[in-house]
Amino acid sequence: MAAMNKRTAVPGFAIGCFLFYMLLPIVATYAFSVATRWDRSILPEGLTLDWYKAAFTDQWFIIVFKNSLVLSISTVIASILLIVPTAYWVHLRVPKARPLLDLISTLPFAIPGVVLALGLIRLYARPPLMLARTPVMLVAAYVIFTMPFMYRPVANSLEAVNIRVLTEAAQSLGASWGRTLRQIILPNILPGILSGGLLVFATIFGEFTIATFLVGARYKTFPMQLVYFTRRDGRIASAYSVISFTIAWTTSLVILWIAAWGAKRTSGGGKHPTKGHTTGVVGD
Amino acid sequence: MSYLDLDHLNKAFDGAIAVNNLSLHVEKGEFVSLLGPSGCGKTTTLRMIAGFETPDSGSIHLAGEEITSVPPNRRGMGMVFQSYALFPNMTAWGNVAFGLRVAQKSQKDIKQRVNQLLDLVGLSNAGHKYTNELSGGQQQRVALARALAIEPRVLLLDEPLSALDAVVRVSLRHEIRRIQTALGITTIYVTHDQEEALSISDRVVVMRQAMIEQVGTPEEIYTQPDTHFVATFVGTSNQFPGILKDARSGLVTSVNGDWQISIPPIMDDHMQNGDALIVIVRPEEIRVSQAEIVIEEDNVITAVLETITLLGPVTRLSLSLPGQLIIADIKTVDRGRFVCGTSVQLSFPRRACRVMPGGDITNGDDN
Ligand SMILES: Nc1ncnc2c1ncn2[C@@H]1O[C@H](COP(=O)(O)OP(=O)(O)OP(=O)(O)O)[C@@H](O)[C@H]1O
Ligand SMILES: [Mg+2]
Repeated sequence: MAAMNKRTAVPGFAIGCFLFYMLLPIVATYAFSVATRWDRSILPEGLTLDWYKAAFTDQWFIIVFKNSLVLSISTVIASILLIVPTAYWVHLRVPKARPLLDLISTLPFAIPGVVLALGLIRLYARPPLMLARTPVMLVAAYVIFTMPFMYRPVANSLEAVNIRVLTEAAQSLGASWGRTLRQIILPNILPGILSGGLLVFATIFGEFTIATFLVGARYKTFPMQLVYFTRRDGRIASAYSVISFTIAWTTSLVILWIAAWGAKRTSGGGKHPTKGHTTGVVGD
Repeated sequence: MSYLDLDHLNKAFDGAIAVNNLSLHVEKGEFVSLLGPSGCGKTTTLRMIAGFETPDSGSIHLAGEEITSVPPNRRGMGMVFQSYALFPNMTAWGNVAFGLRVAQKSQKDIKQRVNQLLDLVGLSNAGHKYTNELSGGQQQRVALARALAIEPRVLLLDEPLSALDAVVRVSLRHEIRRIQTALGITTIYVTHDQEEALSISDRVVVMRQAMIEQVGTPEEIYTQPDTHFVATFVGTSNQFPGILKDARSGLVTSVNGDWQISIPPIMDDHMQNGDALIVIVRPEEIRVSQAEIVIEEDNVITAVLETITLLGPVTRLSLSLPGQLIIADIKTVDRGRFVCGTSVQLSFPRRACRVMPGGDITNGDDN
């Protein structure tokens, strides 16, 4: 019994340290964002929502929130349009190239954001593109930067359903490529696309480095304003951070929920919405 | 010209030949099986008919019209896959309706036809179910209904039953044949199960190593195999390797003179006296009797009874001759009082013997 306790105590302690290490800054940020004054005592002197009020009423708040939203959503859309058909085609027609695509899609992890940004500025500054320092270019950079987040879940979904034989079945029934993609492939890899899209969204909403390098103050984003406030008033910055966390956590929860839904759909036990005979294509 | 004509089809993958100069002519309403060991090119042939593979050379004609390079979605071929390939995002009903929706049939027609087809495959109560709520056999019925819904010009099935358990497999294959006959639909059926091919086909195409070995009715394939491979791949065969002593009287002796066999006289001169050959006799043609009984038969050979295996209605006796084993299937009710290790007599008529040239004594184990 004693030996057992020792054995479970050590990992328990390690996990405790890990959680403490991970959670302390977050808890502190949350606490700081609602504290009146916290520089003269161990615990905050009082609680207030003033910093949130300051954050929300800041003349830039709406603008940066909207900018970040536009960037995130555009990146998600561009990423889906680019990566989903590519991944589908490679899985269907050139399965031998899959390892290569797996490798390419992880490259953005290996290249530091700054290096990527500088490289992109040089590339996009030249004719015929002339897109340097525009939000369009930023979205282009973000699509590359977040490629692993989009590609991985989509590739997993493509592997989970036998898309090759489903494609052939649809074609033998007369379906065109477009119809096959819309009515057969997309509905079956939807969980992967949604997870990927939300991961990309959360990542871009909080992205600072590349945005600063590529467009800077011309197109202010939410994280830029956050950083601005860390220099002016840490408590308002904390309120910004909390808003940012909340968005990231909400998306994470939705991703988990979608993953559970996707797993249920492909492995039996799914409910049928109607029992009538006219149940046809879900979502056509 | 037939309804479906395959002429001199060739297909290689990275230099490896999958289909070699294959020609086949299928009549309207015919049920043709492609039978052969794994890797012999059955699926590749079927996929070329469906349009999923383009032949390197050769042509495919359907009802007189060349379709060699028509894309699969404009060929009107119904396809049933080994893995069912039902659309998981749709109900059974939605799956069957899919092809009709693509063809832009009216709601009323779709409804009527889908219900009719689900009825035909015995699933009129399962229309609302999703793929993962159906058994393998039910899924394959839905897949069959889905392929038939579009009134395909040819129905193509690639080992549709091989993922199912034995009982379902047998009942479903009879059902496929019943539906095929009722609708009069031209069908190409790929299988590596000889019993399946023999039991449901109008004609069987035996393939081996990318080529057609023999085409014939199930009875022809079984009773008159053209080649040594067909004789051994389809059903069980005994092989007596010997030398032709006298073509006119049909006399064959074993290489070391242990036995002699009378075969039907050889009238043409594709084989001459002194040629090596193999005499092939089906196990069910061989009668086995106690050593002391006197037998009047074309061929009587003495052998030692090695094992007795009960297979159900037949019992399989394994008998040894010098240097080889012979199998004889007798009715279980005639099993009598055979004792392992004793001498017995095998007898069979000369009409039960088929003769193959024996130059290269390769056996049929390609797989
Ligand atoms: N897409 C492909 N790429 C490369 N080689 C292939 C491809 N499809 C088939 N082959 C090869 O072609 C040959 C014939 O294959 P095919 O699938 O037609 O055989 P089969 O008779 O259907 O066998 P099985 O009974 O195992 O299904 C095999 O050697 C196979 O490895
Ligand atoms: Mg095959």
